[in-house]
Amino acid sequence: MMTMLKELAAELIGMFVAEKRLTIAVLVIVAVAGSLVDFAGLNPLVGGAVLLFGCLSLLIESVCRAARVGAS
Amino acid sequence: MMAWSTAAPAISAAFLASLVEVVEAFTIVLAVATLRGWRPAALGTAAGLGVLAGIVLLLGPLLDRVPISSLQLAIGILLLLFGMGWLRKASLRAAGVIPLHDEEAIFAAEAAELSEEARRRQRNLGWAAGITVLKAVLLEGLEVVFIVIAVGAGRGLLVPAGLGALAACAVVLAAGAIIHRPLARVPENTLKFGVGVMLSAFGVFWTGEGLGIAWPGQDLALLLFAALFLGAGLLASTFARKLAVEFA
Repeated sequence: MMTMLKELAAELIGMFVAEKRLTIAVLVIVAVAGSLVDFAGLNPLVGGAVLLFGCLSLLIESVCRAARVGAS
Repeated sequence: MMAWSTAAPAISAAFLASLVEVVEAFTIVLAVATLRGWRPAALGTAAGLGVLAGIVLLLGPLLDRVPISSLQLAIGILLLLFGMGWLRKASLRAAGVIPLHDEEAIFAAEAAELSEEARRRQRNLGWAAGITVLKAVLLEGLEVVFIVIAVGAGRGLLVPAGLGALAACAVVLAAGAIIHRPLARVPENTLKFGVGVMLSAFGVFWTGEGLGIAWPGQDLALLLFAALFLGAGLLASTFARKLAVEFA
């Protein structure tokens, strides 16, 4: 029973933490976008653009990094 | 009034994501049923679905108590993490950097594990087989529950998203009942790629709304986000294929 619960917990965490660096980077992008919207006094769409294009860039960077590591 | 520009992506994301998860659970259920009979497989499945139903009934009412902007932000961030994780893996699989998911191989591995268990323990095999199925149904089912809540809760689309998931279960069960073999021909990576695209798009959309961003075009922005994530995933996959060759 304990083993199964541990596996369940690991699976739940694994659902959202596919790769540690990507997870942290996404959270940082969300925090930056939130700060731009709430504190910088800019148009909220600037925060939206940072969120959208930040995530797109992170995805490409993460896949390329994994390809370099995986292939070497 | 249901906006189809939001409802259609929510229903299709729930359907396709559930299709992938149900196929994975079905492979384990079939392996157990083939080796140990349908009784432990059916009991394990029923127990897994029962626990999932309990989780939904317990957590469902709590969602109504959370302010909508906080709910959108929390779900949006989780969707971003979940969707981008899927999209990353699907891009790497499409590039050939990591191997494709192979239902036949998983079926064989599960069957070998159960046979090994049979040699070691000699008894309580029905129980062990049932637990194996329960675990598989629960683990894959939790992902389905999360996806249904995530794509449905932000706009009151829980029921349509749930119906999308149920339709996926029905499709897999019907296909499984007909062919009685692991569903190896399902283009799983293509599905995962598509679902990763949609979940990531929903993730940006909900996170932005939770932060107070009013997206231009409202729900239609989802389609633009999905197109951009699709483009980024394909681009990443192309780069990854070149890098894998270069660094090999």
